[in-house]
Amino acid sequence: MAGAIIENMSTKKLCIVGGILLVFQVIAFLVGGLIAPSPTTAVSYLANKCVDVEKNHQKTKWYLSWGSNPCEKIRDFDEAVSRQIEANDIVFSIHAPHPHNEMSPWFQFMLYVLHVDIAFKMDNQIKNNAEITFNVSLGYRDDMVSEWQPMAYAEETRKLKCAFNYPKTKENEDSFYDCDVLSFMEIGTVAHKFYLVNIRLPVHEKKGINVGIGDIRDIRLVGIHQNGGFTKVWFAMKTVLTPSIFTIMVWYWRRITMMTRPPVLLEKVIFALGISMTFINIPVEWFSIGFEWTWMLLFGDIRQGIFYAMLLSFWIIFCGEHMMDQNERNRFSSYWKQVGPIAVGAFCLFVFDMCERGVQLKNPFYSIWTTDVGTELAMAFIIVAGICLCLYFLFLCFMVFQVFRNISGKQSSLPAMSKARRLHYEGLIFRFKFLMLITLACAAMTVIFFIVSQVTEGHWKWGGYTVELNSAFFTGIYGMWNLYVFALMFLYAPSHKNYGEDQSIGDLGISSGEELQLTTTITHVDGPTEVYKLARKEAQE
Amino acid sequence: MHEGSQAEMQAASWGQTCGAGASECPILGVCWVPKAIEDKDFYRTVLSGVNTFQSPLNSMDLDWVYNCLGLHHQKKVAAGLTGKEALIPFPLLGPATNPAQGRAHLKQCSLLRLSRKQKRLCRREPGLAETLQDAVHLGIVECQYQFRNERWNCSLEGRTDLLKRGFKEAAFLYAVSSAALTHSLARACSAGRMERCTCDDSPDLENRKAWQWGVCGDNLKFSIRFLKNFLGQKKVGKDLQAKVDMHNTNMGIKAVKNGLKTTCKCHGVSGSCAVRTCWKQLSPFHETGKLLKLRYDQAVKVFSTSNEAVGHSELAGPPPPGRLSKGPSAPRPTDLVYMEDSPPFCLPSKYSAGTTGRPCSREVNCDSLCCGRGHNTQTRLVTFACHCQVQWCCYVECQQCIQEEVVYSCK
Repeated sequence: MAGAIIENMSTKKLCIVGGILLVFQVIAFLVGGLIAPSPTTAVSYLANKCVDVEKNHQKTKWYLSWGSNPCEKIRDFDEAVSRQIEANDIVFSIHAPHPHNEMSPWFQFMLYVLHVDIAFKMDNQIKNNAEITFNVSLGYRDDMVSEWQPMAYAEETRKLKCAFNYPKTKENEDSFYDCDVLSFMEIGTVAHKFYLVNIRLPVHEKKGINVGIGDIRDIRLVGIHQNGGFTKVWFAMKTVLTPSIFTIMVWYWRRITMMTRPPVLLEKVIFALGISMTFINIPVEWFSIGFEWTWMLLFGDIRQGIFYAMLLSFWIIFCGEHMMDQNERNRFSSYWKQVGPIAVGAFCLFVFDMCERGVQLKNPFYSIWTTDVGTELAMAFIIVAGICLCLYFLFLCFMVFQVFRNISGKQSSLPAMSKARRLHYEGLIFRFKFLMLITLACAAMTVIFFIVSQVTEGHWKWGGYTVELNSAFFTGIYGMWNLYVFALMFLYAPSHKNYGEDQSIGDLGISSGEELQLTTTITHVDGPTEVYKLARKEAQE
Repeated sequence: MHEGSQAEMQAASWGQTCGAGASECPILGVCWVPKAIEDKDFYRTVLSGVNTFQSPLNSMDLDWVYNCLGLHHQKKVAAGLTGKEALIPFPLLGPATNPAQGRAHLKQCSLLRLSRKQKRLCRREPGLAETLQDAVHLGIVECQYQFRNERWNCSLEGRTDLLKRGFKEAAFLYAVSSAALTHSLARACSAGRMERCTCDDSPDLENRKAWQWGVCGDNLKFSIRFLKNFLGQKKVGKDLQAKVDMHNTNMGIKAVKNGLKTTCKCHGVSGSCAVRTCWKQLSPFHETGKLLKLRYDQAVKVFSTSNEAVGHSELAGPPPPGRLSKGPSAPRPTDLVYMEDSPPFCLPSKYSAGTTGRPCSREVNCDSLCCGRGHNTQTRLVTFACHCQVQWCCYVECQQCIQEEVVYSCK
């Protein structure tokens, strides 16, 4: 018998394997849904308005509205007017987290967005294309009493995109504009316990800085971080998955090297898929608990990118290798047309990510979207990547269509074939359909869960239990693709019935020469075309 | 309330705004609420606090409010301690690491007229006193803004009497006050002024663990729970008035809750929406005020029905129109309810000062506002600021323009 384990497995055994995988799949969902909290938390912070009483505006001084050395605080800007405090003397102070809590490395990252509350005034409206410029400094400390250590300082400009939903009349003064949130800061590590953000909005009329930005009432930040509980569950999952995928990978490669022929392209691609999966799985994030590695977010992106690129390439190559036409492939280069878009798309996204998260390693307040050029550049990268993806899917769909066309062609002529040939084709068809089925199932699951998690509010109350849908989505989908790769390596490994079991071949009444020939034709190693070879075989018979 | 004597003295000159027998400052001392319904004391105090403001707010009013809130008293004390707080109208409050501040909020709490439970909460929560003051201010300003063109202009005169009755106006006051409280509490939480905001009611270690694990709730949920606890809503009086008041209070809380806006941020691989975090934010209080005013205009009149089988009475509104129904229906939780038709508020009464002398605009509301008495027309030159150079904060440079303006006011 030729081919992979899946072809030689009895239906019963296949069902058992499927059942076991399903159990693990359910466990993966439950771990996220029942044990883990929601993946991220958003905490909103209202900036306290401090007054910089020193006239020379020292940049090194930190303003915190409470604690042992609180700043002089004002309640609203009417008070500032009456006390003749200038705009340049006002410091917005935000302490993260809220009092009596502390940050933890388990939070993995901190992402902050900024809301500006701007009231409408007849004589102080927001100009068209208004830009807000802020001087922002970020400091940290690890206990409540020590001095603040500076971490980053930047002068940043953001576009104000505000709409006023009422008629602009005197009646509607003091109503608020409806402004878009502004991206503020992104840090890939939470190594310290307390963070302090000081924001100033300096006014410089001659340079036109912060002119025409309306009547600002409040500044609010929303801080997003990963939940510690989710991180722990996630790490645990990675730690468990790494050895299992690694083991099956080693087993798979041993199987391949045990064969007398060199590994074919499809086998190599499956192995590469296993490697990229392991690369994602390896829980290097454990180090982020002890070290201040800001590049972890970027690294995670890169790892995911590699895996996606590998998965997409695998699908194309798998289809190509099951085409059952007379073309000779088995070389990576013969897929350049299909794999090309993946490479270009992945490269675009990589460049984009380097421009965004890469630069954020240096300046956490940077965002590529804040400038016109940056936005266009970013959009260009994303659009090119999008086009590549579309192109890829067109190719893929076309190939799948071709395969099915060939299958139906072959199926009609199956009864007329010799037993060996029929078994060979039936094996091919079964292998293809099986993978098609589970791939579609996995993709559908991913899409469905993605939509569900986007539409619903994130958790279901079910009796006494709360099911965290978003966490279940992440752990479930992550577990699912791991199981997919696992199943792939297990089921598509060369069957050991291939070699050394002459009696089974004898039982089937096929000469070993033909057996060898068929094994190789699956993967098109040999020069002559399949039809030619098979015709020769039949002629010999 | 042994500390009350101080407030009493300060309030003495303002006694006239309170009803007979009022002995305390009406902003947070309660002029009229009988001791028996103490659970609702604070809540009524806020309302009667709203009562004492004049419109437009002038510095004297503010001064008076601060006085009533015990802040001037506070200033004197604080000045002796650090000398710093005297500079600012509101003392700095925050997590009480500073011993002076720690005492400051206790002092403030003791000056507020609160029930025993409320006082305990106030002492436990250093930012609460300040937040309550915020809420009072917010409620007053919004109420007066929404009613600037009505016969009853949310003035402070006669409000204590008004609140004893079941008018629509009282319903609005209850709703706007509880909405302001909810709003202020949630804001105080996000400003870090309150200590136990999201992971509350648990011992310190558990609290920290909950935060680290990531199961803390959001600010608004906390503030609503806290507020309900604070107002002691579990023990509701049996009379209809108490029920109506509570319904309107809850309606105010709901108005804030329904006004929440959800905003989301995508932050997956390369900023894709594979990972998305959403949060709710309070809408500006103006919008809540607008909604409440709308509900005021559509308020539902209720009466009491007794359910003999169960043995308690329930609120009942008019049967829904256009549909055959068996009887009165319970008012929806989003409706404002009232029991009595309001007086016209045209002439001075114990509920309002009447509309005489109120400015009006001829095309819009002079006829209704002046109750058919007609209006005076006055032409005068006004100087006003124009061609202003404004910065985002605190600086305005204007030219002076002069314009002839016609002013109408009710006879």
